Amino acid sequence: MNIRIRALAVVFFAAIVSVIVLPTSGCRPADPTLVKIVSSLPRTGSAKQQSDTIVRGIRMAVDEAGGRVGPFRIEYLDLDDSTAAAGQWTSEAEAANARRALQDPDVVAYIGTFNSGAAKVSMPILNLGDLLMVSPANTAVGLTKPGLGAPGEPQIYRPTGRLNYCRVVPADDLQGPLSADWAKKRGVKTVYILDDSEVYGKGIADLFDERCREVGIEVLGHDSIDAKAQEFKSLMASVKAANPDLVYFGGTTQSKGGQLAKDMVSAGITGILMVPDGCREQVFIDSAGAANLEGRCFVTFGGLPPEKLTGKGSEFVERYRKMYGEIPEAYAVYGYEAACVALSAIREAGTKDRRAITDKALAIRDFDGALGRWGFDANGDTTMKTLTVSVVKGGKFEFEEILDAAEEAVAAP
Amino acid sequence: MQFFLQQCLIGITNGALVALVALGYTMVYGIIRLINFAHGDLIMLGACLALSLVSAFGMAGGGMAATWLGVALLVVLCGLFCGGLNVAVDRIVYRPLRNAPKLAPLVSAIGVSFIFMNIGLFWLGPSDRSFPELLPATNLLAGEGLQFTAKDLLVLVVVVPLMLALSLLVKSTRLGKAMRAVSQDPAAAALVGIDVDRVIAFTFFVGGFLGGAASVIYGLYINTIGFQMGFQNGLYAFTAAVLGGIGSIPGAVVGGLVIGLVRSLSSAYVGERWTGAIVFAILIVILVFRPEGLLGRGTKEKV
Amino acid sequence: MTGQHHTTRDATGAVPLRDRVLAFVRERWDLVALVVLAVAPLVVPALGGALGGQVTTLFIYCILALGLNVMVGYTGLVHLGIAAFFGIGAYLFAILTVPMYPFQMRFVTAAAVSVLATAGIGLALGAPTLRLRGDYLAIVTLGFGEVVKVTLRNLEQITGGMKGLNPVPPPGAGLTVGGINLGLAFAIDPRWFYYLALVTLAGVVVAMRRLEHSRLGRAWVAVREDELAASAMGISATRVKLSAFAMSSAVAGLAGCLYAASLSTTADPNAYDFNRSIMVLCAVILGGLGSIPGTLLGVALLVGFDTVLAPWADSAIQQWNINPSGSSLLSFSGWRLAIFGLALVLVMRYRPEGLVPSRRLAAELHEAHP
Repeated sequence: MNIRIRALAVVFFAAIVSVIVLPTSGCRPADPTLVKIVSSLPRTGSAKQQSDTIVRGIRMAVDEAGGRVGPFRIEYLDLDDSTAAAGQWTSEAEAANARRALQDPDVVAYIGTFNSGAAKVSMPILNLGDLLMVSPANTAVGLTKPGLGAPGEPQIYRPTGRLNYCRVVPADDLQGPLSADWAKKRGVKTVYILDDSEVYGKGIADLFDERCREVGIEVLGHDSIDAKAQEFKSLMASVKAANPDLVYFGGTTQSKGGQLAKDMVSAGITGILMVPDGCREQVFIDSAGAANLEGRCFVTFGGLPPEKLTGKGSEFVERYRKMYGEIPEAYAVYGYEAACVALSAIREAGTKDRRAITDKALAIRDFDGALGRWGFDANGDTTMKTLTVSVVKGGKFEFEEILDAAEEAVAAP
Repeated sequence: MQFFLQQCLIGITNGALVALVALGYTMVYGIIRLINFAHGDLIMLGACLALSLVSAFGMAGGGMAATWLGVALLVVLCGLFCGGLNVAVDRIVYRPLRNAPKLAPLVSAIGVSFIFMNIGLFWLGPSDRSFPELLPATNLLAGEGLQFTAKDLLVLVVVVPLMLALSLLVKSTRLGKAMRAVSQDPAAAALVGIDVDRVIAFTFFVGGFLGGAASVIYGLYINTIGFQMGFQNGLYAFTAAVLGGIGSIPGAVVGGLVIGLVRSLSSAYVGERWTGAIVFAILIVILVFRPEGLLGRGTKEKV
Repeated sequence: MTGQHHTTRDATGAVPLRDRVLAFVRERWDLVALVVLAVAPLVVPALGGALGGQVTTLFIYCILALGLNVMVGYTGLVHLGIAAFFGIGAYLFAILTVPMYPFQMRFVTAAAVSVLATAGIGLALGAPTLRLRGDYLAIVTLGFGEVVKVTLRNLEQITGGMKGLNPVPPPGAGLTVGGINLGLAFAIDPRWFYYLALVTLAGVVVAMRRLEHSRLGRAWVAVREDELAASAMGISATRVKLSAFAMSSAVAGLAGCLYAASLSTTADPNAYDFNRSIMVLCAVILGGLGSIPGTLLGVALLVGFDTVLAPWADSAIQQWNINPSGSSLLSFSGWRLAIFGLALVLVMRYRPEGLVPSRRLAAELHEAHP
């Protein structure tokens, strides 16, 4: 007993000490010739395939720069904001990533997040340190646009009052309403809307809902699903009874987009299905069953899909294909562009001062990148206003049409 | 009216599947008073095997007879797999804990459930996987204006005979009698010459076999499996078993049907988002007012 | 059966210094730990940064686990829904403090109200259900956890749904004491929350100690060991169990308040699901049922595993390029579930009383296996 208690006491203290010492063992003083870029993406769980392509895009950007930018060497660190326990992103992991980036004096850019809910956690933290945050995928409107999100957004994400966040992908205030306009143009008269209750999914479903009512499409119902549920047969029976022309699902592949599509088809619903960019990945088609979606599933995406990119964009797609043996998923080029933005800002600033780098990034007004020529507006949003609609044919996404916000009237509420 | 009927039909079909899983829980609880938390994940592993077998034998796209034969074969193979696995787990994990306080086997079952989940994670990967559509999607009741396909029929066609077979087993065979004896009083059963451990192992086997059958039906009916499916399904099935009276076989069936109906009707009339809360709220209420469940017998604690 | 120490004495008959120090550490581990943890932020600079936040969260989980310990450890009732009370405490606290609502109470008031309300909810749930047998109670708590999670998610107008309620203001927002703007201090320097959590944890540990040795504490243990005998001795089993439930809910609620304050958001309702409850349960069981040092050790090991060891191992694997394809099989955290599961099975088989057991429980659990 004696020895055991002693051993256990030692274990106890070792546990405490290791918790304190282990993470700091990698600490070294700031290296004036080194800059680090970190990304915070969900690297475990079902979103892994998406984040894999984004990470590859970032790596390609860093490699193309030859591992150097201006007078500095660059290192890229791929951080995970999800945990194995949760199988998806968690507030704690995201906050820990943000703090870790802040504490490391060599880190000058933070590429993240993938999920809009996670960005809400790290934005205020990074804002306190003026660390540049470029998101390749956040689309929730409240992160940057005043008056469109919840009360207080986006000021609550900027405790210092200064901006540090920007995103290379158009926000949902584009995608949601334009989807409704597209539906109207197509002759849809009734819709049934579903969402996954998440920040992104519910956000875009609400925007779609609002716009439908504005343009005269009848909303027969709007329900939230439990993303942990296994099947939706009863729900689909209710939807079928309402008999909509179009079923809209605001959500992602991970929040059961595929299963909904399956159950929709097996319930005998004849309407078309429309989903936002959170479902724009091959995994969605596979999980729903290609035959189920054939010709009746339409996916919107803020920006151009890989096969439609031109100039630098198509070069990126080619290089990606050579390196990895497959064409990139939709978000890969956004990861690449986000990294290019960070690199360009570092190069222009010429120093490791975070504020200077952030200012240079936010000052981008005419960037010639893989996504085309675009710039940031005063809120840190991209000036790119292209939305594409793709249809699922033959088990793949096939480009259908471009919706340009300049042509469609987008009424900001 | 038709809408109500359709929801009831969905509820009964779902409920039958839940009942099949619930039987596994109720049998194990009946015999050794253990809530087998790992049962749902056992079924997940059965589904993994089913998927692998279907892919390996290229079953998608066969003729009608071949398909039904293939399904029957799958049911038997996965049933044997899950049954055997269950027996192994009992032998390795639960048997040494026969005389330990209740907490030990309960927590061990949670541990086994985690291990199964991890195996499922390696087997399937972190995302959900699609189960091929083996059965035709033609609507058999299109005339009545209802949706009822071969898949739904399959559930009832497999579940009902299995339940009847189980009742027969428990009521009319010697082994069944031994099972009932052990569940009533293991010490007395041992005294009259019943090999208690063998009987318990057999119970685990039967429970596991039913679970394996359920896993095949689940795959064919829902067409999606994932390494996390065990928890949700296990929870509903377990609720059904408790609702009907844990330890009672007809209770598990009734409980399963009730849970299935509650789920579909609450989704239809209250809203999909509240279904989870409603099911468990009903569970809590039933347990408060009738702890032995709908068909269970009240157990008096003896000093 | 008192602990036998064979104190070796040297030639002059005095106990050597080394043995004396070890004995002191063994006996007053709590004082030693408290001093070490209190001094740590001054010595370890990393605690002023990301690590400080992580250790604060560790302390909060310790508090939560101590709350669960009252139910599972002392009273022997399996509780599978402690995360629900954690969440209720966090959300109530947030409702009472966020600018969206008119309450906007100070930290201490809001925490007090939230803790009391959570205890009340625990009483409300416990009153009709505590007479159920152990297994059934476990299921009721499990079901309650699910109901709470779904309700928090669906009552969007009140709870913000999946967005959660934010921003939760830091303690002392707007107060300036001794020239220090408290709110700003809490927001910027994680060490403030570190100390707040540490002090609260110390307080909870002291309270638990006192309870252990009080009449109520002994009544809890009596009910655990033999409910019928206890009631034959005049202890109202239901009332005792109810008090355990209320105390456990209150402590969980307190942990929730600290959690919401330290994260400055309630996070989404999925943070308070069955996974969380099971993690805390595992920590209590693996560390040592009914034993305070055991519970703390269990939490430290489990949380340390998840937030320190796993990410470090994963990034080491990434750096050494052992797992280029990114498969779960070769990653460390891919094995997490199996490791936890195996630990539970092995501990229940060979050492069900946990790593640092309470002596009484160890005796009780081993009586069948001498």
